[in-house]
Amino acid sequence: MRIGVFICHCGSNIGGTVDCAKVAEKAALFPDVVYATDPMYTCAEPGQATIESAIAEYRLDGIVVASCSPRMHEPTFRRTVERAGLNRYMLEMANIREHVSWIGKDVESNTNKAAELVAIAVAKLRGNTPLHSKSFEVNKRVLVIGGGVAGIQAALDCADGDIPVVLVEREATIGGKMAKLDKTFPTVDCSACIVGPKMVDVAQHPLIALYALSEVEEISGYVGNFTVKIRKRAPYVDWDKCTGCGACSVKCPSKKTPDAFNEFTGVTTAIKVAFPQAIPKKAVITAAHCRQMSRGKCGVCAKVCPTGAVNYDMEDVIVTEEVGSIVAATGYDLMDWTVYKEYGAGRYPDVITSLQYERLLSGSGPTCGHIRRPSDGREPRIIVFIQCVGSRDRSIGRPQCSGFCCMYTAKQAVLTKDHLPESQSYVFYMDIRAPGKMYDEFTRRAVEEYGVEYVRGRVSCVYPDGKGAYSVMGVDTLLGRPVEITADLIVLAVGIEGSRGAGELAEKLRISYDNCGFFMESHVKLKPVETNTIGVFLAGVCQGARDIPASVAQGSATAAKVLGLFARDRLENDPQIACVDMRRCVACGKCVRCCPFGAIEEVSVRDEQKAHVIETVCQGCGLCAATCPQGAVQLAHSTDNQILAEVNTLCRY
Amino acid sequence: MPVLEGKELRIVGFLCNWCSYGGADAAGVGRAVQPTDLRIIRVPCSGRVDPIFIVKALLNGADGVLVSGCHPRDCHYSAGNFYARRRLEVLKQFLPVLGIDEARFEYTWVGASEAQLWQHVVTTFTNRVHALGKAPRFDAVEPLLKIADMALTALRPLGTGKNAALPKLKEAIKAKLPELECVIGWQQGYDEARTVPLFARTPQDVDKFVWGPFNVNNPAVYLPTFRGKKVGIVVKGCDARSVVELLQENLISREDVILFAMPCEGTLDMARIGEKLGRYTTVDAVVCDEASITITADGKEHRFCMADFAQGKCYGCATPLAALSDVSFGAPVDVKPVSATPPELALLDSLSLPERMSFWRGQMGKCLRCYACRNACPMCVCRDYCVSDSRDPHWMSQLADEREKLFFQTVHAFHLAGRCTGCGECQRACPVGIPILALRQQIGRVIEQLFESYKAGTDPAAAPPLLTYMPQEKNIHERGWK
Repeated sequence: MRIGVFICHCGSNIGGTVDCAKVAEKAALFPDVVYATDPMYTCAEPGQATIESAIAEYRLDGIVVASCSPRMHEPTFRRTVERAGLNRYMLEMANIREHVSWIGKDVESNTNKAAELVAIAVAKLRGNTPLHSKSFEVNKRVLVIGGGVAGIQAALDCADGDIPVVLVEREATIGGKMAKLDKTFPTVDCSACIVGPKMVDVAQHPLIALYALSEVEEISGYVGNFTVKIRKRAPYVDWDKCTGCGACSVKCPSKKTPDAFNEFTGVTTAIKVAFPQAIPKKAVITAAHCRQMSRGKCGVCAKVCPTGAVNYDMEDVIVTEEVGSIVAATGYDLMDWTVYKEYGAGRYPDVITSLQYERLLSGSGPTCGHIRRPSDGREPRIIVFIQCVGSRDRSIGRPQCSGFCCMYTAKQAVLTKDHLPESQSYVFYMDIRAPGKMYDEFTRRAVEEYGVEYVRGRVSCVYPDGKGAYSVMGVDTLLGRPVEITADLIVLAVGIEGSRGAGELAEKLRISYDNCGFFMESHVKLKPVETNTIGVFLAGVCQGARDIPASVAQGSATAAKVLGLFARDRLENDPQIACVDMRRCVACGKCVRCCPFGAIEEVSVRDEQKAHVIETVCQGCGLCAATCPQGAVQLAHSTDNQILAEVNTLCRY
Repeated sequence: MPVLEGKELRIVGFLCNWCSYGGADAAGVGRAVQPTDLRIIRVPCSGRVDPIFIVKALLNGADGVLVSGCHPRDCHYSAGNFYARRRLEVLKQFLPVLGIDEARFEYTWVGASEAQLWQHVVTTFTNRVHALGKAPRFDAVEPLLKIADMALTALRPLGTGKNAALPKLKEAIKAKLPELECVIGWQQGYDEARTVPLFARTPQDVDKFVWGPFNVNNPAVYLPTFRGKKVGIVVKGCDARSVVELLQENLISREDVILFAMPCEGTLDMARIGEKLGRYTTVDAVVCDEASITITADGKEHRFCMADFAQGKCYGCATPLAALSDVSFGAPVDVKPVSATPPELALLDSLSLPERMSFWRGQMGKCLRCYACRNACPMCVCRDYCVSDSRDPHWMSQLADEREKLFFQTVHAFHLAGRCTGCGECQRACPVGIPILALRQQIGRVIEQLFESYKAGTDPAAAPPLLTYMPQEKNIHERGWK
């Protein structure tokens, strides 16, 4: 091999604390190095030209660039060597800026360290071979998981871009949390009136296939070619026949079914359409509360249904869809708020979550928009809102801010005054976080125009005062004194976490998730909608707390990513992947068992079982290579021999 | 390359490309001043770091090795660091048996944005290695020769298996033979005091089966070579565990093997017997009574009591009869397992770290690199493709020095991590009597402690612990960097 080494000065960034000329001098003596120099700025045009001309002049077939981090300029120099006619993978980099010159001032140590890093880069490069990408077809269909506002936006934008969409929603209707809200901040306009038309668009779009009451069962494949199994749960109503007329729920005798759509603030019938604007507007039977299904006696709905759609024997159906990309938009759920025993959460009927309060405010809610206490149906006069219940609280392992609670609490306080002009609201807050457009103005209005009392401090406990009201014991940290308020209703702004089952879904999608069940984006700042699994994107709160406009924006962002991905007919894989040496393989299956991507399969070669890497699925982590005892699986450009060469260069008596 | 004398020590880092390498970059961007000793090798994932890279570095002059990956659950490849965590923890607890201070090796999780944490980790680790000083050089230590004390008490009375149901076994084998490729067991070797493997294909062959304390070999070693063919195998309790482990790893399939289980009363430590017999030309007779064996060699009688001359593993054996079998000739013996440290390991435990290194230097001086240990191991399935004599990958040179020899033993031990059933064939096969089983025993002990008393080869359905993971490990806790 004929190797050229380029030690970049990066102006004074490296040159200031590393004797680059001396490093180049040392590098010239390393095995296979035929040329070494130290350009001032290697990444700049003259620097790149130096590399190109050196490749031609010295007939180089491998290049080592010692400069900044390969995470910065590896793509740049790959293009450079490619322009000069080399394979783009015949390049190795030594990071002598971030890992050397910027972290120490001692020129002697730095120069020595830089030379050693160059030595290991040379040692590794000697094991490199030209690699070539494989290209494969893209199935231009997208799966959107979750039909909340983010998922709806992603689905509509993709479909408008002529991409067929499969939209999977776990509940019986799309709309997500937004459909449950009464009004939205800061404009206080009707939530259902904004999201409703979008839901209808989804239902009517010819390119969107909607699977409601369905969940993703299994995902296999890779970018461009995912196979997804979807479990359609049985609604016990033939949706092809159901017209959503609602005759069934009028007659249903089981009228004490807990109402999940109303956050269990009321009861409903065992068969029902989730809410009037539901999409799809189809009836669903809650099997546990249906008299026919639990006791075998009733069958009223089947009798009254004008189209004969009710079918008690319906079973779940698994359907398989082939897609090229996946958008996860699974949203959030409230954390388990009953851990706040001091607030009587879950014990006192009049201590409710803000989402429950939202249903009380809503005209389609259990009280038809009249605010009434769950305990006795009385109109409350004093209402206390407690913020950060399950947010910014290390004591229960929830250090993060749930983002939108400050704003909706202000909105709910404002709406309370609109509904009950005689009422008085108090808000216990830690800090007011209102950074959005018109947000701070809105919270000011709540205080100044609606007379909402904001108390900065935490509440220590809530207990019934024995006269039908509750004593709220808190502290005002601005005045530095305890506060006691007798309240009729207490609304907790409960912190959020990833939607239930988010972890399981993340594992199916092979993406990471954090302790609260939020999915991890590929890069906090620069890749906020991508994940580490290529072809899987994130929209909305499933990635972290955000409000409606941000969720919608992210939904559109994922659509842009999907359309960008599908703009090409074929995709190329990264060729730095694992490869099995069939001769060495004894088919022990350890690699198959470990591979996080299911990228290794057992194939029969001349009647012998052998492991085989599916090139398009392999992501190049090298776990298989570390697992295979006989070294039959090797990861291109991170082979055992290459890492050993690096170790041996460094560790030598 | 030499380190800067008096200034630096040799510290090697393996960093995953996505998190920790990024974290180190971020530390550079933030101009977070760090000691200069660390040399970073960039790998795609901490899961790529085979623990034996680290042993390689430590045996070859590294004073410290640091592995850093993404935080658990934040792996770029979703699960690579989960596997790494298990393997690296096993390595960390294994190193002291070689005489290497475990403080010289550390693994940690640093995210791409955690510049300060990275600075802290590098500084703390470098200071720690400097406090330990230069690592002792393996080939500079004085050899130390010590022998494990084998005076042990067995958990159950050991015997010679004189009254075993051998005729019944033969009958049963003959009945099954037509459907089998062959039945593997033992026959008499070149004298009465030796056995060699028997591959019985005809009823005449079956008559050659023998049973007794000379049946030392583990016949399970031959099973993978018959993969795809249906065979029978006669097993002692310990042999059966190897069979189970082979089943666990899908190296053989259950329907292809018929196990004939015989109740074992103990086997003899032939090395110690040979020592007692001294030089002789012929064995004239071997006579068994219930608890001892009398060998007449060159006309001279030697009596060996089973309780004194059994193999080390037999004393602690709690499963003399195979737990998994198709045809069984005895009732399971009720032996309460006692967690006692095996004698070879107990010897090492009693030594200080420098003494352990001296011990291995002394022992490895005897090694011939004959690889009898490997060939006798029923779990060594690589066979012709063992990394010990391959150029690609080129893990070790053919140089006959003690360091390479110990490295091979470590590689073997690591390839057996979570798989070794402790049958002791490696040590028994060693012609120069190196107690190499101690290395496997140490790994076995670590695995047992880490993974809820996991014992290889007891449950055919169990996943070997290093081939699986738990997102939240019960016994592996992240060490703080205070």
